[in-house]
Amino acid sequence: MQTNQFQLKTGNILADRAHIDMPLLSAFFIIFLISGIAIFSASNGNSNFVIDHSINIAISIIAMTIAAQLSPMSYERIAPWLYFLCLMLLIMVLVFGETRNNATRWLNLGITFQPSELMKIAMPLMIARYIATGTLPPTNISIFISLLIVLLPTAMILLQPDLGTSILIAFSGLVIVFLSGIKKRYLFTGLLFFIASLPFIWKNIHPFQQKRVLTFLDPEQDPLGAGYHIIQSKIAIGSGGLFGKGWMNGTQGQLDFLPERTTDFIFSILAEEFGLVGVIVIVIVYLFIVGRGLLIAINSQDLFSRLVASSISLTFFIYVFVNMGMTTGILPVVGVPLPLISKGGTSSVTLMIGLGILMSIRTHKRLISK
Amino acid sequence: MEFKSSNTQEVEKEVFLSRILFCSIAILILATIIITRLFFLMVIESDQYKLRSLNNTIRMQSLPASRGLIYDRNKNVLANNQPIFQLEMIPEQVLDVDTSLEQLADLDIIKKNNIDNIKQRIDKNLQFKSIVLRRNLSEREVAVFANNRNNFKGIDIKSRLSRHYPKGEIFSHALGYVGAISGGDYARFDPSFYTGKEQIGKTSIERNYEPYLRGKPGNQKLLVNVKGRIMERIDQHPFLPGNNLILTIDSELQETAYKAMGKQKGAVVILDASNGEILVMLSLPSFDPNKFSFGLTQKEFSTLSKNKNKPLFNRAIAGQYPPGSTIKPMIALGALEMGIIDPDVFMPCEGRFFLPNYSRPFNDWSTHGAVNVVRAIQASCDVYFYKIANEMGIDKMSHFLKQFNLGAPTQVDVDSEKNGVMPNKEWKRNNFTSRENQSWYKGETVIAGIGQGYMLATPLQLALATAIIANKGQAHKPHMLKAIEFTNSGEIQLIESESIDYISSIDDKNWDLIHEGMTAVINERRGTAYGIFPDNSPIAGKTGSSQVFSIDKRSGDEIPEELRDHGLFIGFAPIDKPEIIVSIIVENGGGGRIAAAPVAEKIFTSYLEGSETNNAN
Repeated sequence: MQTNQFQLKTGNILADRAHIDMPLLSAFFIIFLISGIAIFSASNGNSNFVIDHSINIAISIIAMTIAAQLSPMSYERIAPWLYFLCLMLLIMVLVFGETRNNATRWLNLGITFQPSELMKIAMPLMIARYIATGTLPPTNISIFISLLIVLLPTAMILLQPDLGTSILIAFSGLVIVFLSGIKKRYLFTGLLFFIASLPFIWKNIHPFQQKRVLTFLDPEQDPLGAGYHIIQSKIAIGSGGLFGKGWMNGTQGQLDFLPERTTDFIFSILAEEFGLVGVIVIVIVYLFIVGRGLLIAINSQDLFSRLVASSISLTFFIYVFVNMGMTTGILPVVGVPLPLISKGGTSSVTLMIGLGILMSIRTHKRLISK
Repeated sequence: MEFKSSNTQEVEKEVFLSRILFCSIAILILATIIITRLFFLMVIESDQYKLRSLNNTIRMQSLPASRGLIYDRNKNVLANNQPIFQLEMIPEQVLDVDTSLEQLADLDIIKKNNIDNIKQRIDKNLQFKSIVLRRNLSEREVAVFANNRNNFKGIDIKSRLSRHYPKGEIFSHALGYVGAISGGDYARFDPSFYTGKEQIGKTSIERNYEPYLRGKPGNQKLLVNVKGRIMERIDQHPFLPGNNLILTIDSELQETAYKAMGKQKGAVVILDASNGEILVMLSLPSFDPNKFSFGLTQKEFSTLSKNKNKPLFNRAIAGQYPPGSTIKPMIALGALEMGIIDPDVFMPCEGRFFLPNYSRPFNDWSTHGAVNVVRAIQASCDVYFYKIANEMGIDKMSHFLKQFNLGAPTQVDVDSEKNGVMPNKEWKRNNFTSRENQSWYKGETVIAGIGQGYMLATPLQLALATAIIANKGQAHKPHMLKAIEFTNSGEIQLIESESIDYISSIDDKNWDLIHEGMTAVINERRGTAYGIFPDNSPIAGKTGSSQVFSIDKRSGDEIPEELRDHGLFIGFAPIDKPEIIVSIIVENGGGGRIAAAPVAEKIFTSYLEGSETNNAN
């Protein structure tokens, strides 16, 4: 039959019935364990933080399990509805959203949440559905419409402003267009167009975002202001050395020099306390999750599943890359948390729903092939 | 939904797979970038970041040493330390000194008009030495600062020890005072002994024995958090406390002298006749040295330094006065030695003395009739000494009197001592500019005979001269340090007194004649201090009046106070075996008998009573 050397073996029957992928689930447990250890240390040993975080993990695992029960076909069916719902919610955010820390990202509809988080799920589903419906490679018109589908919510999220999320959402859509087999010269022109539009983008982003980029280019210029985060993060990571200072022994974290260390800069805490060795373990676990996701994508039998699974996996990797890039000072600080390790409820839940969809694709495919 | 042929699906899948392959390669490249970056930070540059991490969290803090205590000879505490709150700054650690000072002024913790002064001190400060911005903050000020501490990196309030003088102004000139360390202080004393947070001796004992009193600062290594709060003390080298000083001062006697002087200006010096130890060094008016410990404002200091009564001036060692009649016993001794006078010959005194070619007479304060040397001292006959001086000549007189250490420093162990003046012809040539003034006149020799004119002496010099008289030529160099108590070993090192034969080969009979005259001053009718002391006091003395105004005599009440004569008194007791030497000057007191002798009487009486009780015990 198939000559795919990356073909996945049939998994555990029980797990398949529950639509759970055991290797992925094991990796999540390792990541959550690391997360608990890191948050306990980053909160100076405050167990309340860990309890809160455990509740978040429980909720996101439940959300993942539920997401895994739905078949890929039903995701394909609800994709446009979900997308347009998210679009409406994003418009509502722009009109009467809640503002915190100079950013209007929240919507209060009985419960307060970020519609942009929901868009992280809706976007790959919508683009995959749209591309999978047409012929491949996509026509110019469908490329144009795809770009429209991607850029509309991206622009709205950029206006909130939320640079990190808009980058991730744009990536999750555009990567599908790329995977669908878009011609290389289009990619090339697209890249040129992006570079040409950089000055325009620069003028239209918020001053604080401009400052972040400038600070990224030379953090030592303002060591106590905008550059402080980056400098202290680099000190934390660099001083960790090969084996780290030991758990709860990192001075940068324990003595409060590192800001936002339970969220965006939790990676620096891990690096300081567990060293290069510990950090490489984390990178390997992440690469395992991404690799597993890509395997699921390759092995899925319809185009929609393939595109969705690969988009979720690659976006997950971009999450990791951007976060590690900004904490180590090779990318500007754009506010992307370290997936599944940083404290923060909504981001974990949406990530786990995405990974639940991966499991759904993995465990539902034999049903389709029958 | 469009139907897709299996062929299309295969093509789609191939395209997809090639793109996934591309993405996988991209992932590996990006992951390699991250790992390379981590390797770079955590291995290659790790040492640099480890150092920066330490710099974040480790603070070295210097610990100022506690200053040694100062005791009197009976171990009564004259200077100790008490805890206060002080505001300290390390200028190098402050981001913006100007703004921080403004903010402190806004909080009312420092005074706005003091900022310029602080900035000057910062300019002259040594690197990484602290500067004390204010001492003795109130609890409220400490609380106000604590609330705003985060705005003041490099500035802090600490509880420190500050110099305290329990007896206040009574001992201020003897002990001196302390203050904040200045640039000049660092030039004179080794800066490694100071953190900048401590006080440094500024005058007198506090200054001269600074190297013993200061101790050695320690330091500690602290772990601090981002707000500078101390989380842990990692390492500590405690300071070495300063050594204690035991002075020769007798605080009871000094207090007696202080009370005896009352509100009068002047000085009292009392020496132990047997060893030169200074029992009393009093100069009035005085000041409260405790105010200097906390730091005076510019205004307070200028009020003190511009005060016409000069409270900051130590009259005991730096006040130079014409010795007046107190010089007479010494001149008499010289005349006896030189054979100018015969102790048995009486010379007439008609109240005035004439020099050939001088139209104006040299007046005596009284008409004494016939006097010999003893009577002349007893009644302080000026004419007798005019005649001696005229016959002796200034150069011989000056040469002889210099043997009493007059005109030369006593080499007492505190600074800013003045030399006084023992004039002669050469001195006049060297110290005047116009040719006319450079030549010596005979009249100047005549008034030198009664200690007037150019002759000047400090109260301490007169005390030493009196000690030489009392001990018949031999005396000890006056000094204030009796012993050093080393705090680390507990060892006490006694300071040896240096004995000097100031005058040798004087006929013992002549000494006795002088002593006889000085005893008569106190104990015999017509003695200038007769009736002031109890009958038959075992005291020898001499009064003196030095003229501030002119030789013309007006009655006391008419003369404004600042133009009245200074009153002097020198004396010793007991006569046969001298124990104490007293030298007193009362500025503008109106004369030795009126102003100085009563002070002497109180001191001697108190002392003699004290020694009687001691003997009885």
